[in-house]
Amino acid sequence: MPHLLFDRIDEPGLNTIPVYERRGGYSALRKALQMPPEAIVEELSQSGIRGRGGAGFKMGQKASFLPKGEMAKYLTCNADESEPGTFKDRELMQKSPHTLIEGIIITTYATGIHHAFIYIRGEYQLQADILDAAVAEAEAAGYLGENILGSGHSLKLVVHRGAGAYICGEETGLLDSLEGKRGNPRLKPPFPAIEGLYAGPTLVNNVETLGTVPTIINMGGADYAKIGTEGSTGTKLISVSGDVQRPGNYEIELGISSREIIYGLCGGPKPGRTVKMWFPGGSSSPVLLEQDLDLSYDFDTLAKAGSMLGSGAIIVVDDSHSAFEVMQKVVKFYAHESCGKCVPCREGTNWTNKFLARIEAGESTPMDLDILASVQSQIIGNCLCVLGDAMAMPVGSIVAKFRDELEAEIEAARERANALPLTDTEDLLALSAH
Amino acid sequence: MPRPEQKIIKLTIDGREVEAVQGTMLVDAAKAADVEIPYFCYEPKLGQPVGACRMCLVEIEGIPKLQTSCSTPVRDGMVVNTQVQRVKDAQNSVVEFLLVNHPLDCPVCDKGGECPLQDITFGWGKGRSRVIEPKRHFVKPLALSPLIAIDRERCILCYRCVRFSQEVAEDWQLIFTERGSHTFVGTHDGHPYVAPFSGNIIELCPVGALTSQPYRFRARPWDIEGAGGVCTLCPAQCNVEFTVRDDKVLRVLSRENPGVDDGWLCDKGRFAYQAIHVDERITTPLVRDGSGELRPASWEEAITAAGALGQHQGSVGALVGGQASNEEAFLIGRLLREGLASADIDSRPHGTVELGLTRALAAPKLQATVQDIEFAHTVLVLGTEPLDDAPILDLRIRKGVRRHGVKLAIASARPSALDPNAQLSIRYAPGAVVEFLSGLEWALTAPGSGETHELAQLLRDGGEDVVILWGESLPPAALAILLRIAEKLGLAEREGAGLLEIPAGANARGIREAGALPNAGPGYADTTTGRDAAEIAAATAAGDIRALYLFGVDPLRDLGARAEWQAALARAELVVAHAGVLTEGIAAHADVVFPAESSAEKEGTIVHPDGRLQRLRVAIKHPGQVRAGWQVIGELAKAVGLDLHVLTAGMAFKQLVAAVPFYAGLTLEQIGGRGVRWPETEAAAAMPAGTPAAQVAVTDVASGPRPEVNGHLAAGTYRSIWASPEVEISPALKFTVAEQLVELAPEDAARLGIEHGSTVQVAQNGTRLSGRAVIRTGVPAGSVFLATGIAKDSANALDELMVEVVKSR
Amino acid sequence: MSSIDRRPPVRRYEHGSRVPGWDEAVDLTKPPATVPDPALTPVPEELRAAIEAEMAKYPDRKSASIPALHLAQRHHGWCSPEAIKQVACVMRLTPAYLTSVASFYDMFYLQPKPKHDVYVCTNITCSLLGADELYERMCEAAEGHDISVRGFECLGACDIGPMASVDGEYVGPLNLDDPKLIVEDIEAGRPVLEHKQLRRRAVADAKGRVDDFDGIAPVGQEGN
Ligand SMILES: Cc1cc2nc3c(=O)[nH]c(=O)nc-3n(C[C@H](O)[C@H](O)[C@H](O)COP(=O)(O)O)c2cc1C
Ligand code: SF4
Ligand code: FES
Repeated sequence: MPHLLFDRIDEPGLNTIPVYERRGGYSALRKALQMPPEAIVEELSQSGIRGRGGAGFKMGQKASFLPKGEMAKYLTCNADESEPGTFKDRELMQKSPHTLIEGIIITTYATGIHHAFIYIRGEYQLQADILDAAVAEAEAAGYLGENILGSGHSLKLVVHRGAGAYICGEETGLLDSLEGKRGNPRLKPPFPAIEGLYAGPTLVNNVETLGTVPTIINMGGADYAKIGTEGSTGTKLISVSGDVQRPGNYEIELGISSREIIYGLCGGPKPGRTVKMWFPGGSSSPVLLEQDLDLSYDFDTLAKAGSMLGSGAIIVVDDSHSAFEVMQKVVKFYAHESCGKCVPCREGTNWTNKFLARIEAGESTPMDLDILASVQSQIIGNCLCVLGDAMAMPVGSIVAKFRDELEAEIEAARERANALPLTDTEDLLALSAH
Repeated sequence: MPRPEQKIIKLTIDGREVEAVQGTMLVDAAKAADVEIPYFCYEPKLGQPVGACRMCLVEIEGIPKLQTSCSTPVRDGMVVNTQVQRVKDAQNSVVEFLLVNHPLDCPVCDKGGECPLQDITFGWGKGRSRVIEPKRHFVKPLALSPLIAIDRERCILCYRCVRFSQEVAEDWQLIFTERGSHTFVGTHDGHPYVAPFSGNIIELCPVGALTSQPYRFRARPWDIEGAGGVCTLCPAQCNVEFTVRDDKVLRVLSRENPGVDDGWLCDKGRFAYQAIHVDERITTPLVRDGSGELRPASWEEAITAAGALGQHQGSVGALVGGQASNEEAFLIGRLLREGLASADIDSRPHGTVELGLTRALAAPKLQATVQDIEFAHTVLVLGTEPLDDAPILDLRIRKGVRRHGVKLAIASARPSALDPNAQLSIRYAPGAVVEFLSGLEWALTAPGSGETHELAQLLRDGGEDVVILWGESLPPAALAILLRIAEKLGLAEREGAGLLEIPAGANARGIREAGALPNAGPGYADTTTGRDAAEIAAATAAGDIRALYLFGVDPLRDLGARAEWQAALARAELVVAHAGVLTEGIAAHADVVFPAESSAEKEGTIVHPDGRLQRLRVAIKHPGQVRAGWQVIGELAKAVGLDLHVLTAGMAFKQLVAAVPFYAGLTLEQIGGRGVRWPETEAAAAMPAGTPAAQVAVTDVASGPRPEVNGHLAAGTYRSIWASPEVEISPALKFTVAEQLVELAPEDAARLGIEHGSTVQVAQNGTRLSGRAVIRTGVPAGSVFLATGIAKDSANALDELMVEVVKSR
Repeated sequence: MSSIDRRPPVRRYEHGSRVPGWDEAVDLTKPPATVPDPALTPVPEELRAAIEAEMAKYPDRKSASIPALHLAQRHHGWCSPEAIKQVACVMRLTPAYLTSVASFYDMFYLQPKPKHDVYVCTNITCSLLGADELYERMCEAAEGHDISVRGFECLGACDIGPMASVDGEYVGPLNLDDPKLIVEDIEAGRPVLEHKQLRRRAVADAKGRVDDFDGIAPVGQEGN
């Protein structure tokens, strides 16, 4: 299996230019600067690489949406990495920041952009410091600034630290936040590629996506496309966490079996435990079950199975945990992170949260699960951005797949709370009056 | 920027083909086609749609997800479904979500009965709720400002109020804080939301979260009536709707007229209606008795007493205040000229302008409209502070800059609230506007550098549509230059360009057109020249004029040369006044006071600064003994032996139209609720031509601020938006009444050892005013700015430029 | 003037949500908070310079609001009204603008807070691995110290879960004895749980490893 981003990533000093260059760093940039910009976009398209941030949109296509010609255009690298379970960008930025910087320079050259930002979540202080140092180093080495390596291309790159808000990972929320506002998502259309940062055309890409660009240039898009599957080319950094024995970041070739990842690479759950459910792509992906472990880990297969590859963050839950507990964590997170701009998400996440609190308090009936499920379906598709869906989809999947367990949980909670067994509407009325 | 062209396209809504202007938002296009799509957050006046409430979701064929119709511009061939089950489900869902936390306290809610949330829940909700989780409960209501109460339980976070503060008024005081379902509307650190336009948020709120403190619980929607009117508290003449209950005005709402106000009101216009129903208001005639006291009197007594004006034939001076209607001004002109053999009538507080120049500046082709401000290439604000002088125009200018990329330039002595929006802000020294304009005229033709040249370049090369807003306080010498500049820029030749005067009085333009000028009759006709205001003061003080007729003016408050006026009023043998409140000069000197009407009681017409005739209509009956102004003038005329032949307000209007050639053919019906701009009518051709500006050689002269001289500072004046008797007597606005705020440059304050907020004395030739020091960055060193138009310590007591500012001990 | 200024808070239902600020009326004696006048708003010179340097990085100065709030929070210990006013003065914005921004983000404090920050991740992975109990232990351990402990959403380090960020330094996996040690390290002013720092951790992927990995050396302002 090829290792393109993680190969010996722990090498001491790789975060500095001398070591990075010794290992061939910035050669892709030199190569790219010899190519016409359109040819680079073409290579990216040929590589078939899909965005690594969550939505899986084809990078080459997005870059080609950007209007051509001289105007104020921007590139924003999405280093917000806040989707629960995701921590792959962190490892790349911390250990090989120049991979990302090189990718950014090549991409801006290809798209005629002269102002780029790395929006990194505020909690990643170490990584932001490392990026700051690396940017300074790259500026001193002539990789950034005016007339890069005599190519005529110039680029100003600014590392911008966020301050703790998951929604700033959503590309338009990120743009508002970068403009110094509350990180509320914007209506789309217009899409950022047409009207983004400071109302200028803006390319937003994930750290890993941009970090792969030097590899694609070095290998050539066509060769890159040979890795992985037809619809999911290349390798992918994945973050595996939860009930596995060797959690952490791995680079895999897209299309290997999920079992191979969870059991082969990560050692599976503790001895004696089994996989109860797993999130294949961060906490916003609908959960899959033990029986889904043989699915090929790629965008299309997971989508077909009713879930998604998302950011490549696999969270494994073993049979020692209750489905309710998992659902409650998910809901609390999204209720806390909803930006509050649109009604279905703000009220829907908050209502769901209260709903679960009521279940926990032993004040609900199994019938309520229908309402819970219907609330989720009322959220899906009706929100301004997809954060609302990001809660509703996994919650909906848990309700559907663990209905029996949840009903038992409700009954148990009622018993704990010493509630009367519910038989008729009288009790419901009594409840609603409380 | 030129106005966008409109193209008509066809689309299908619910199976019916309809037409719409391309680019209109779908929700509006649907409404025009009688398809109602519910919404909360959409409000085009607030700028770009935010798509937050999700109430307006519809199905558009070809797009998988439901779309917000508030943010989807219509396209040719679009097929839209608003009645399919998916859409209904989405609407049910949004209503249900909104009610997860909204309290069902409609019976005790001030908004009940006129509440969009109520209506939409009824129309588009499911009718039953599945929410049994407890709602949020909080202390309510809380004060958001002295004028506005906030009920956070009811807030649905629709973004309207905060967008108004941030994107319309741009005061950025009202904000969302926190995030998600914790989000709430608030301010920084418990500061109140006090800003000139804050009241608009009450009207914008689609639920009962923001309510008017003065209106709360005064009425229910079913016991009120709305009556259209026009606010006459400033020249912006915003269109309003009076909320009337039992012949009392209980509230003022905006009545959107894009040609005038864009649907906004300032807080003076919104809350000073309270002045209509307070004890301070005069509601009976008053006559000064033998002991020197003003006592209530019958109309017969008062008219008889005032009729003594007839004994001063040829020796009566009259002043007409800015709130007079056209008809009143016209009738006063007749009373004076025909009944009292006097030509001494004036309505300008800042001195006479030569008739040829007056006509030239008022020429129909040279008039810019309010909407031109929004679409001009460049707007120059010259010698006026729109926020104080015609507040709603401040919003219009901001809108032009924000939405249409208008380039804004400010030229004034005093820093402006619009400076941060301006591409160029030039400060000339107080009193140096003539020099400034000479320099600008020179710079328009001669090359050079510096800010005056930058401005010249902007006006000349920044696009042809230039609008110049100018303040009436510019001296006549400046106006001649202004006219030459307008000619040089060819402003008369372009539809979207021109001049727009911001006069001192609300209806100053109409009053002048009706002939209340010493050098012009109705329609700016030639006439025997009389004395202007300053000359009337001098002549009265000298005993040459023996009686004064003051219609809505208190010279001690509204005019300059206070000392001279004091002498004049003291010397006059008879002073007859129309007044709503007993201000200083009236209380001390008037012999007869007729109670004045408020604009909610008045019937008549007024003229907007851009030439739009608007109608005042009777919303409530006169309180107490108050009678119509035209009627009182008519009776007074009779008492001096003149029959004006006015038995109704309509007859007065007919006489006016007959006398003013450029109003020819206008009817009250035509003017209607939106007004008619006479400069756009055919009759406009009958406007007498002005004298072209004499071409004189100009040179570059220095006009910039100068440092203090011997410890004296050059004083400029300003009249705050809050400086008005109506504000003083409106209980809700008491907190904001203007006082003497002495604005100093930080350098000067430091040199003089004056602290911000401390009391200072301003002295000149033995006259002393006291005021509170305001240190303001942006005030040029060497200048100081003083308030006029206020009840106490007004700067109109000073007649010279240089003043001394000292600490109070 | 107004009869509805301040009243005692009402009793709230048990699981009704609760946010500071909701029950607060404005103080009608205060003037409106407009853009602070530089002549009347002293700003510490180094803070001003640092904010201006941030503003210079962006095509639109407003973009510097989050970096500027970070700077002001570091300078004043929290985003106090005074701190916000100073930022507003330098950036020519209203204090409300910045309050609105600051309150949106979890890392800004609009209430006074202890000096040190411990964020314990209580999101899904960490809680599967015992974060809730760890969080309680951490709170107990920090009691009486100048340390603020917060349960935080996913910090992006589930591989070392359950974990915490101690003044920005990521440490994990933590056991129930670690909170005490963390407090001791903070009090002693030394690096926190050095052997558990994320920066010293090798990548999980075997092909990413090297034999001599000893972590990423601290860069820039370590330990802030
Ligand atoms: C609620 C939400 C959170 C997101 N968070 C992240 C994130 O932390 N990092 C990221 O790269 N993309 C995130 N995304 C996806 C971005 O919106 C966007 O699709 C991505 O940055 C585009 O880059 P890519 O095409 O390279 O993947 C998030 C999306 C949503 C809706
Ligand atoms: S879906 Fe949630 S996060 Fe997205 S805009 Fe709506 S409220 Fe904000
Ligand atoms: S009106 Fe369209 S989302 Fe609110």
